[in-house]
Amino acid sequence: MGLYSESPDWADIEPIPQDEGGPNPLAAIHYSEEYSEAMGYLRAVMARNEMSSRALALTEDIIDMNPAHYTIWLYRAEILFAIKADLHQELEWLNETALAHQKNYQIWNHRQTVVDRVGSPAGEAEFIARMFEKDAKNYHVWSYRQWLVRRFDLWEKGELEDVELLLKHDIRNNSAWNHRWFIVFGRDDSAVAGDVIQREMDYAKDAIRLAPQNQSPWNYLKGVTRRAGNPMSSLKDFASEFASIERPNEVRSSYALDLLAEIYSQESDGKLDAAVALDLLAKHYDPIRANYWNYRKALLEQPATAA
Amino acid sequence: MSPTAPNYRRHNDSADASFEIELIRELAVDQTKAAFAVPALFTNPPPIQDGLETQTSKARSDTMQKCLPFLLNDDTSDSPIPKQNSFGIPSLRKKDHVNFLHGNLADFPAPFVAMDASRPWLFYWSLAGLSFLGEDVSEYRERLVQTVKPLQNATGGFGGGHGQLSHIASSYACVLSLAIVGGKEALELVDRKAMWQWLGSVKQRDGGFQVTHGGEEDMRGAYCAMTIISLLNLPLALPSGSPARVKGDETFLTGLMGWISHCQSFEGGIGAAPGNEAHGGYAFCALACLCIIGEPHETINRCLDVPLLLSWLSAQQTTPEGGFAGRTNKLVDACYSHWIGGCWALLEAAMRGANQSSSECLPPGSLWSREGLTRYLLCCCQAKSGGLRDKPGARPDAYHTCYSLAGLNAAQNHYYYSPDTKGNPAPLSASFNWRVDATKEEGVPFDEDDRIRLVHPVYVLPWGTAEQTRDFFKDKDVD
Ligand SMILES: [Zn+2]
Repeated sequence: MGLYSESPDWADIEPIPQDEGGPNPLAAIHYSEEYSEAMGYLRAVMARNEMSSRALALTEDIIDMNPAHYTIWLYRAEILFAIKADLHQELEWLNETALAHQKNYQIWNHRQTVVDRVGSPAGEAEFIARMFEKDAKNYHVWSYRQWLVRRFDLWEKGELEDVELLLKHDIRNNSAWNHRWFIVFGRDDSAVAGDVIQREMDYAKDAIRLAPQNQSPWNYLKGVTRRAGNPMSSLKDFASEFASIERPNEVRSSYALDLLAEIYSQESDGKLDAAVALDLLAKHYDPIRANYWNYRKALLEQPATAA
Repeated sequence: MSPTAPNYRRHNDSADASFEIELIRELAVDQTKAAFAVPALFTNPPPIQDGLETQTSKARSDTMQKCLPFLLNDDTSDSPIPKQNSFGIPSLRKKDHVNFLHGNLADFPAPFVAMDASRPWLFYWSLAGLSFLGEDVSEYRERLVQTVKPLQNATGGFGGGHGQLSHIASSYACVLSLAIVGGKEALELVDRKAMWQWLGSVKQRDGGFQVTHGGEEDMRGAYCAMTIISLLNLPLALPSGSPARVKGDETFLTGLMGWISHCQSFEGGIGAAPGNEAHGGYAFCALACLCIIGEPHETINRCLDVPLLLSWLSAQQTTPEGGFAGRTNKLVDACYSHWIGGCWALLEAAMRGANQSSSECLPPGSLWSREGLTRYLLCCCQAKSGGLRDKPGARPDAYHTCYSLAGLNAAQNHYYYSPDTKGNPAPLSASFNWRVDATKEEGVPFDEDDRIRLVHPVYVLPWGTAEQTRDFFKDKDVD
């Protein structure tokens, strides 16, 4: 006896019980009666490909019990469109559900499907900001945000400002750095204007001065330099602010030392200096990666092609 | 605990004899500790730390504080003290982990309903983990075949449960589980023709794979699809009706390497899809997928900036914990022992180039710290009640147990690529050319008793299983 079997609205449906395949299934879950019953009805309406408001309500009931069920989300999206349900109401319900189930990721693919159909990103940035309050590195939320930017051409609609806010809060948030890259360089492969390159270099350098042992802005700075087609040697003076092989006891950033080693290795008479920098890393400043630094040292002996 | 003042723990109900045994063992442990001091690298904070505090730096130092007592082998909450290996760190508690994994194939109470769409993963993680620990899992064959049968859809592929839509992850986990238990009955359960058609229906025009109809397109999709295609020996040609079939001569490989190449981020690591943040899980999926598509030195070098990827991978090993994090500025987590730890052999094969014996630049040992990873897994990740966990304070689960064991395997062995014959191998045959050198690298703190069975570096299957599966389907068509 249950919610569905006693309801006249569902009297025409014969639920399909779960086929466990045999008497001793592996990793079988002892479902609650409510879940078992609802799933029986779900299998039955899905088998008929029923598109109705009662089927929609059924998916909501099951999602409340188990949001990690991709099949139900996909079926729900189909029903929403087939019965022309109010999609704004759907988004409001999704907001609550996403906040209640932070770790759930199936919901983001569904949200994407719905927002795509709605045809407007209105309200999405605000909602994402609420999600980021709880976890500003949620991979699925960031991936959804990239989709929004591409789909609605939001490259210049406040994305950079939002990233800056997040980085102000935590300059080590690598997801925010990645999004910054995406906004500035991810649009297409065409050349980026010189003043934009300069702006991005300055932004990364300021971040490094705030906390020199933070790998995110170093990766960003090197990425921008590469993307602009500039040699790494253009960063030599900057890197030298944080490390110098002349003052081996005053290294403030292992990433600066790594970069200096790379720059020296490309100089015609820099091999010895590069080796000193790599030794400092292997022995003092980053010994967990000693094997890697020693490999880089071995590369110095190679003919010109060294990376 | 100092060597001269052992911490005797008397159990009220224990007989004198057993107390004595425990006392002797504790004394022995303390002597071991004195003899094997933990290197400072694994007991001290990183040499350089910035003063500026943020959420990220707080989380990092919390994790370090949680791990340090375990790295020092000073965790006093364990009673009795677990058995130590000859390096003075905890041995691999195989029996406990075996019991834990058997438990993951038994019944679950109602609150585990969130697993309802991912039970095939439980089959794979548990059966793979048990095999890595040396257990014979063929006893599960009949029950697995029964359980998996209702998950297969007539239109091809497996869903997460009966009546659920086919999904590439469920399909992958079901096929691998069936391969692990092996045998005709298990392998013939897969409807290969329907699987081929279903995979064709999720192949996309841009080269990648959707995980399910209407689902996301990501690196898991590509890796799972190519794994299934190569193990089941499915045709490379796309079935008619595939959305990726435009001109008519496209295959499952069309555009795939280009798509993977676009997933390498400016940091050097690889994201779930083009533009996404570099992430360890997707790095392994990308490299393994490329090792299925062709020979590693051909595909990986052609598709990816190898020096940049190497630098990113290397940067994921954390100190003092010794394990791997999955992204820049994130925390150490045991599952990346495989996702990052499993990348090394594949990348090294690419770096050695066509002539696998000439490794002028590659050091004879490793590019990473096998010692660090071994310490992290054995000291920090073994849960008292069995199973392995993300980090101290987390509950063990089958996922972290499986991938911790795979990571331990990566630290214990050297896998290398060595084709029988020179020249172009047959399509999708390169991934069956891996060999292993199980010589222990000096200083890596494990004993022979801590060894687990060999694991295929591309398929994450017990050694030999991938070849047996492919052989079984060698001469089979899809008609
Ligand atoms: Zn994990």
